[in-house]
Amino acid sequence: MDRRAFIKLSAVTGTSATLASCGSPENHLIRFVPDDEIVPGVAEWKPSICPLCQAGCGLHVRVMEADVDVTRNGQRGVVKMGVAKKLEGNPVHPINQGRLCPRGQAAIQITYHPDRLTHPLKRSGARGSGQFQEITWDEALADLMSHLDALAAAGDQRSLAFLTRPRRSRRHDLIALFLNRYGAPPPLTFELFGEDVLRRANAMSFGREQLPTFDLARSRYVVAFGADFLGTWNSPVSQNAGYGLMRQGRPGMRGKFVQIESRMSQTGANADEWVPVKPGTEGVLALGLAHVMLADGLRPAGAAGQAGAVIDGWSAGLSDYAPEQVEQQTGIKAATITRLAHELAEFQPAVAIIGGAPLAQTNGLFQAVAVNALNALVGSVGQPGGVFFTPQTSVAQAPPSTVTSSLDKVAADLLSAPRSPIQVLLVDDANPVFATPHAWRVREAFGKIPFIASFGNFLDETSILADVILPDHSFLESWVDARSESGAMVAVASVAPPVMRPLYQTRAMPDVLLEVGRRLQRPLNLTWQTFDAMLHEGVAALPAPASGDAWSAAQKQGGWWGEMVIAAPPTPIAKTAPVRFTEAQFDGAPADYPFHFLPYASQAFLDGSLAHLPWMQELPDPLTSAMWSSWVEINPKTAERLKIAPGDVVEIRSQHGSIRASAVVSPGLAPDVIAMPVGQGHETFTRYASGRGANPVSILAPVAESETGTLAWAATRVQISRAGGDNNQLILFAGEAHEHPYGHAR
Amino acid sequence: MASLAYHCTGLLLLVAATGGVAACHTTPRGQAESTSVFTPARRTAGAAVKDFFGVRPKAVQPIAFPHDVHIAKGLACTEYCHESVTKGPIAGLPSVKTCLICHAAIATDRPIIQTITELESKGVDIAWQRVYGYAAEAHVRFNHAPHIRAGVECSTCHGNVGRQTVAERVVDLSMGFCVNCHKSKNASNDCLTCHF
Repeated sequence: MDRRAFIKLSAVTGTSATLASCGSPENHLIRFVPDDEIVPGVAEWKPSICPLCQAGCGLHVRVMEADVDVTRNGQRGVVKMGVAKKLEGNPVHPINQGRLCPRGQAAIQITYHPDRLTHPLKRSGARGSGQFQEITWDEALADLMSHLDALAAAGDQRSLAFLTRPRRSRRHDLIALFLNRYGAPPPLTFELFGEDVLRRANAMSFGREQLPTFDLARSRYVVAFGADFLGTWNSPVSQNAGYGLMRQGRPGMRGKFVQIESRMSQTGANADEWVPVKPGTEGVLALGLAHVMLADGLRPAGAAGQAGAVIDGWSAGLSDYAPEQVEQQTGIKAATITRLAHELAEFQPAVAIIGGAPLAQTNGLFQAVAVNALNALVGSVGQPGGVFFTPQTSVAQAPPSTVTSSLDKVAADLLSAPRSPIQVLLVDDANPVFATPHAWRVREAFGKIPFIASFGNFLDETSILADVILPDHSFLESWVDARSESGAMVAVASVAPPVMRPLYQTRAMPDVLLEVGRRLQRPLNLTWQTFDAMLHEGVAALPAPASGDAWSAAQKQGGWWGEMVIAAPPTPIAKTAPVRFTEAQFDGAPADYPFHFLPYASQAFLDGSLAHLPWMQELPDPLTSAMWSSWVEINPKTAERLKIAPGDVVEIRSQHGSIRASAVVSPGLAPDVIAMPVGQGHETFTRYASGRGANPVSILAPVAESETGTLAWAATRVQISRAGGDNNQLILFAGEAHEHPYGHAR
Repeated sequence: MASLAYHCTGLLLLVAATGGVAACHTTPRGQAESTSVFTPARRTAGAAVKDFFGVRPKAVQPIAFPHDVHIAKGLACTEYCHESVTKGPIAGLPSVKTCLICHAAIATDRPIIQTITELESKGVDIAWQRVYGYAAEAHVRFNHAPHIRAGVECSTCHGNVGRQTVAERVVDLSMGFCVNCHKSKNASNDCLTCHF
């Protein structure tokens, strides 16, 4: 069509549109009297907390007036209200120090999402059909309470389960307390990229069951084993800030950074030296480095203390880990191993980091303990430029949760038992139907639970199974809190009041729990009327600042932070048998399934829980520039051998299923590894994520880390084949990887 | 002639841009009320055409507010009703709550005051319409507060409201008007002072 034709056509379309138009409906809406005193046009900055990952970054929210569509007494209208317009990092918060990652920036879209659930819903069709009808809060609460009362009357309180994410906050303390008072088991937690392996390793090596904090700003040498610490792992904003200072914050001194991993991550792309390693052998390399240090007399074996003692063969000088042997296992040249060990010993302070895929192998605990021992040997534990543990505030009042059974076992029990061991399931902030391998059969298992209630803001694969949905406020409309496990040198208990009034007929989940606890036939005796009273009590127990009280100061600045005198020293470590090297096991015979399948946390979506945010869909992946789509990364040589060109549709098949995705040919991974970001492939998750791309988690093997039982999500082998030509599903922001113009056989 | 051609082409394109959203907006039952996604397009083709030519309808206020009566009683503009004018960019329009600060006691026998009292008790506000203001395409960012601080009278830009009942647009706030005043008072005439 030429320009002239376009203009003519536009005129015709426009005319018909004019005839069809019927005026602006806004002018006919009622305007309600505002509740707030607002100075129009003047921004107010209020503190809040980013809810998207465990880091717990402080937010600074720009609040200004806006006309908001509301329904009051059944009448639609508009009201002027102070609402959140922009999220930035809280400049005084010790974790993120005024910075914020792109995911945090996009968190504002949760509040204004067009597919947010705006009122309580009751299932009206078959379970999973997505048919719901609107009900009132009275009806929703009555429904939930009648089920809880019925369980209590039958003496069957242990059949109540609460599924959530493992997070440290008063919100989660309240969930645990609610269950404890009711007589139910502790909360069932699930997170795909959970960190239980590293916590357990840190407990064994250092007596702290906690994620580590790195003083990168003062390091001179950093060696990371698989940890995407600048992108998605642990406390990324805090680590980015420290990394920036390490590289450019000290005139004349630029710290060196070596990344060891199987697939080049965003973090690896920043490294001075990127060392590819065979999946599952990172721990062997760490002990290889330690061997060189011991053999060359750079450090005495005793320097590692307890962290060394938990390794089998440590005191004997790790004789099985000579560079030549390590080369055979890891694929890294012996000379490189020797050089790295010498650099690590000589550039002080130095620190080693492990996270991500190496911990998601069947030998994950061994790998973590090996890197811990290396850190201890180098002398970086508790030293400037090394590894620390963020002091924890002891405000937890809920009884410490006993060991929770893992979700795969719960699902298996549900499927095998004649009567479902869970009669009532409450779900908050968890979507295991999406984020677990299909081999766990979570959807099928949940189908056997008679009553499911969800507190979700959105319909996702799990909440669509619910019988009743009691939608929570968005975080900007609620009292929020977080106790950061890592990322700061001081103890941090973030807390913040709502920054705006609720837009819809939603209620804060903690307030709903408190109300239900009061109104049950056997009340649960939860002392607080509202959640903010509970938060107040927690913060008031902390040391007060020099002037004023802790609670007012915390509300104003977005939390309490400071030095914490730990009442009791960390629990001494139970003597365990030394950790022995075990070879990583992979699901699928190498002959039939020749490729290691490496799913990884997506920069935009983490474990997929952010795929509903259009800004995140629109964010180009830092390495491939792909967006709005799924892709699989394949080594150029492999692609050439299998005649796969960039953009071609590739079928990836494991022993447990198959998915299809577009190929991205990338030199940043070994020929026998293929990698795929997690996050797309939602069936039900708002208009932006539903039916888009494929979910790599679905085909993972149900293989567990051998010591902790957590999902070993990097232990699946797959076969791949070209399934078709370019179907235009892969959307790249920057075309091809121009620096590597490979010839592709068609 | 060239200018006319420019306008015509632009108009057609504008009309095209609105076409997609010009149909009547109805909210399907059972859906959330606020499912609209941001779009720069106008609600109707007519609105797009009018905006393009800067044609604005005369503001019709829901209540014929007598400015003259209130000013004659000695009320300053910046007291109660437009009090944000000294604090920020926007002068602000009073809600019915503000009316009742005085009218809870004054002139309560008048039908119009009774109407306002009734509105307030229902929690419904008066939908005042904008009288002055710039089109979004002008990219003007006007801030009242510095003008008030510089001692500019309200009447300089809004005319003698003391002689008006319902406020009317009596001063043409063209760019020339602004620039002349800025020149005479040695205020900045940099583009970015007013435009973004």
